[in-house]
Amino acid sequence: MKKNIKKGKITMTITLGIACFALVMVMSMQFKIVNETDITSIENMRETELRTELANWKTKYEETNQKYEETISKINEYKETKQSNEETSKLVEKELEQVNMSLGKNDIEGQGIEITIRETEKEEISRVTADDLIVIVNALRLSGAEAISINDERIINMTDIVDINETYIKINGQRILSPYVIKAIGDQSYLESGLIGNGGHVDEMKKIGQDVSIEKINKIKINKYNGEIKTKYME
Amino acid sequence: MTNKKTISIVLGLMCFALTLGICIQVRTVKSSNSTVSQNYEENNLRAEVLKYKEKYDNKYKELEKAENELEKERENSTKNNTELEKKESEIKEGNKIIGLAEVTGPGVIITLSDSKKDVNSVLNASSLLVHDVDVLSVINELKNAGAEAISINDQRLVPTSGIICGGNIIDINGEKVGAPFVIKAVGLPEQLSGLSRPGGYLQRLKEDSVGVELKKYNSITIPKYTGVISYKYSEVVD
Repeated sequence: MKKNIKKGKITMTITLGIACFALVMVMSMQFKIVNETDITSIENMRETELRTELANWKTKYEETNQKYEETISKINEYKETKQSNEETSKLVEKELEQVNMSLGKNDIEGQGIEITIRETEKEEISRVTADDLIVIVNALRLSGAEAISINDERIINMTDIVDINETYIKINGQRILSPYVIKAIGDQSYLESGLIGNGGHVDEMKKIGQDVSIEKINKIKINKYNGEIKTKYME
Repeated sequence: MTNKKTISIVLGLMCFALTLGICIQVRTVKSSNSTVSQNYEENNLRAEVLKYKEKYDNKYKELEKAENELEKERENSTKNNTELEKKESEIKEGNKIIGLAEVTGPGVIITLSDSKKDVNSVLNASSLLVHDVDVLSVINELKNAGAEAISINDQRLVPTSGIICGGNIIDINGEKVGAPFVIKAVGLPEQLSGLSRPGGYLQRLKEDSVGVELKKYNSITIPKYTGVISYKYSEVVD
């Protein structure tokens, strides 16, 4: 009888032990799953990424559609005005103006921002370089800038910004000096947001002690490109 | 008596553990449910993105056709008037410069590729990769050397083109391109090849062991910009 009780106790202990072990296993597995599902933040990120991608393609489609409709209406206008030289002239003129706008051959006006960078006298602060200006121009373009100028040098498709002997900067072959005034036409808050905050170049420059300021201007005027735009090699 | 107590305590503990387990399970099921719906949402989004991409592609083809037709119509309408003919050719020339038309000419092709070196063999692994700043600098140098038209992995650079680096992908004109980066430039090859001069940016990249290759060509073709340049905020001042 005593032996039996002892045997029963042992069986019970073993059973309980196995049950506990199984439970612990299941629980730890479950904890792992719960942990894994906590990584949903990455999935959320992927979702936002997809959303921007979608927005990107939507705007591209809409822009293309708009351009398509404009082109069709231009074709029709040309067809209609075939007889009259005066009317045709107007149409050609209008098209040429649009091309010239992209070329930088016109003075233009619109809402935008003005960034002013003043070279500081302090020795320990590094000078403003061509790279600073290149990065700012790139950021402005990414934020949808329609026209940009630096110290009234219009930034066109072929513009180069270079450091000369690490002492001064040349844009379009013209020497420019501090203060550097960068003007850009476009959506004011977009343009600004591309330059400030984490990784924004204006804020980075401020961090190392450079004197930079951004001003929103409701009507900013950007001068046309002063030189002659000519090409020799492309056909 | 003590035996009974122990048993009930053990049972109580087990019950507690079980309840806990069930609670956790309920939570897990809940969150995995939301993952499923999220995946569903993502798939929906993905399908939507593809749909718009296709819509864009189709529309773009139509636009290309219409643009060709417009060019013909413009030519037709202006051919009897020398003054208008001049303006017509100005439009054509302008479109080439902006990037709205394909161009051909002598030039160079620069290929930048991420280093094949082992990442663990250097202190700064980032220096082995091609970054947006590298691409920006090379482009700026090309322009300085008189490049008339430039493309990166066949994305034509237009006055509004910006470049962002995101990981090992670079985003140009809103299109994602990956390494190797093939930069084509039309211009005087002798002058453009000056980019590989000692102390130049390409040389510095090479020192960082990024793969750099520059080749001169008698004729290269640079495609046109496949997007739209539109103006919403700008007005011409007379």
